[in-house]
Amino acid sequence: MTAFTLSPEEAQVQATARAFLRDFVDNSYLNEQEESATGFEPLRWVRMRDLGWSSVHLPDRVGGADGSLVDAALITRECGRAAYASPLLQTLRAATTMSALGADKTYDDVLSRIGDGEIATLVAPPDRAVVADVAAGGFVLSGRPVVVEWLAQADWVVLVLPTVGQDCIGAVVPADFLGDRAVEVPSIDNERIVRLDLDGLELPEDVVRSTNVSATEAAYALARADLLRASAMVGGAQDVVERTAKYALERHQFGQPLGRFQAVRHHLARMVIAADGAQLLCDDALDRAQPGADETAIAQAAVFAAGRAYVDVVLTAAQVHGGVGTTVEHILHHHFRRAKAMQLRSGQRSARLRELHHALVVRKEGVEGSLW
Amino acid sequence: MKTVIGPTQRQFLADLRSYLDGLDPELVAATRAENIEDPMQPRENGRRFLRRLAADGWLGVSWPTEYGGQGRTEIEHWLFAEELYSRRLPNGLLTLNVIGPTLMLMGSEAQKADYLPRIINGDQVFAIGYSEPDAGSDLASLRTRAVRDGDEYVVNGQKIWTTGGDVATHYWLAARTGRPEDKHRGVSLFIVPMDAPGISITPIITQGGERTTSVFLDDVRIPASQRIGEENEGWAAIVCALNFERMFFHNEPRWELEQLAGWADAQGLLEGETPQAYALQERMGEHAVDVEICRLFALRGAGMLAAGQVPRAEASANKIWWGELRQRICNTGLDLVGEDGTIATGSPYAPAGGHLEHGLQSSPVWRFGGGTNEIQLDIIANHGLGMPR
Repeated sequence: MTAFTLSPEEAQVQATARAFLRDFVDNSYLNEQEESATGFEPLRWVRMRDLGWSSVHLPDRVGGADGSLVDAALITRECGRAAYASPLLQTLRAATTMSALGADKTYDDVLSRIGDGEIATLVAPPDRAVVADVAAGGFVLSGRPVVVEWLAQADWVVLVLPTVGQDCIGAVVPADFLGDRAVEVPSIDNERIVRLDLDGLELPEDVVRSTNVSATEAAYALARADLLRASAMVGGAQDVVERTAKYALERHQFGQPLGRFQAVRHHLARMVIAADGAQLLCDDALDRAQPGADETAIAQAAVFAAGRAYVDVVLTAAQVHGGVGTTVEHILHHHFRRAKAMQLRSGQRSARLRELHHALVVRKEGVEGSLW
Repeated sequence: MKTVIGPTQRQFLADLRSYLDGLDPELVAATRAENIEDPMQPRENGRRFLRRLAADGWLGVSWPTEYGGQGRTEIEHWLFAEELYSRRLPNGLLTLNVIGPTLMLMGSEAQKADYLPRIINGDQVFAIGYSEPDAGSDLASLRTRAVRDGDEYVVNGQKIWTTGGDVATHYWLAARTGRPEDKHRGVSLFIVPMDAPGISITPIITQGGERTTSVFLDDVRIPASQRIGEENEGWAAIVCALNFERMFFHNEPRWELEQLAGWADAQGLLEGETPQAYALQERMGEHAVDVEICRLFALRGAGMLAAGQVPRAEASANKIWWGELRQRICNTGLDLVGEDGTIATGSPYAPAGGHLEHGLQSSPVWRFGGGTNEIQLDIIANHGLGMPR
């Protein structure tokens, strides 16, 4: 239904991204890439770099386009719509996090490399599966293995990890620093993932760029990064709704289009409501994504709503499509698998909801954006 | 990208809050008690309260200044409605938010000059007469007849679910002027004084304790000048008013979640590392996200109105989200309370002041009032997605 208000420049970003992806992405292409060795086409990556996508929201001083988080989110939304998998989302997330933690230019050298087209990924386990402890000459990590997207293809790995106390550290290492700690594993969707075992890893002092980052600051940086994923999920949900509505007009059963049956119409309307709610909250969070804890809470709410909506709409879309929607001949299978995978990358639902409870319900009067 | 709340709106809200904080506490307390008991219709204190707001220039926030309003946008109007609801105070309900704006768009110059000043003064309260015993959401099958007789119409029939019928001064009445087989093309809309000869009102008490009424019309004579728009063309006014009605649900779920949170907090149920506390926090967290979305659905519609657009599918989405969420929150709350939840409102032992129990008892209305949610889903399928009828 009615879209949010984009400035002319933002509308241009959106239109360019949509046109670029439409030029080559379809189900056959997605299937082909998923079966390929790298999972994406490096030549396309060069093209996306040339379009300025991976550094769209980075400052001019590191070769970025000086755009906003909204610009980056519009690009990830289009990738989400197309079900297009590449290291772009992770690179944008890593860069966003470094920008937020490194207002003092701490990460500018790596951000410049990203501006030049290098690939980055982000390790920030949402359920605090890895912690950092001070050790002689740096930090030593402990915890259970975590899943990371596109690490095998990345040049840089950004780590944002809690310390044993309350604070967090921010570190950045060349990907080969992690050596054989990363094992490629199959993913339920078309993104590439590794299982990364950081237990016992020593991070020397020089790779740890930020120490004593407060939990609030770290949460804010990661919330901005996660909003990019939320926007991708919103895009995915929107595409599924539009695609399913189109199918309901084309496909006839019992002598009429599916869209004339009230049971189907109501499914479709519920999908619209879910996708719209997620989009409204995501856009509101993007608009409010300024430093501060309250915006962090809204961003987390947007991530939750986007994941829930994407999964809800693909489940219903599969029902409306029937058998054809479950085959690899139809693009819906990519959305179906990506929806759950992208939702799960935010960690455990119950943990996220408890955080939201603390942020939105317990929060007291007089706080900007407070529920009460 | 920008959302609809900017510095202007924040300042408006700050001014409104400071105004409301400064009102006579006795008036506020009396109004609040009455409103909690039955929010659907301002009675004695509610009327007093609305007249106070009118005298201070706070009614009709989005009404143009030429009609005595503040001339602000629908966004501020919605914020006004939300703030008053959060305090459990009346905001003018259907009369200010639905009838007034519809009259501005569809009424004759004489009707606007006659009614709008008295509405914004808080002197007139409207009740809406659409439903009939054989026509709920299927308004196209109305049977109440209005037969032309010179400069007047003579109306006969029966209406049901006229909420506020016993406190209203005027009736916003849909009646058939064409043939029954013309369905919605044979309906006209009239304004009738509630005390016109031939009108009799019977109260209906709902399970939630709210009052609604049944209205009998027996040879009621209405001057033709009181018809809105052309004869047989009342449908446009009905649709217009319904869209306003579906947009001006505000953030009631927020108030209900607050009751739930307050009760659970007082019981110590939200703290600690127990499975029960975790489970409750999860549910509260999800309800809180849904309350935020509720607000954004309403603000989207207000933003569209402010931009001169008419929310249709968007109004329906707002209405569905709102009504279902309230029911879900009250139901969650009572599940949590357990057997104490059977203690009814009115007892000092009723958990959460009885608000959750009262809320759940009232909740069926939220899912069908203003047009059933199933009809709303069809509107979204048609207008939002272009499905064939």
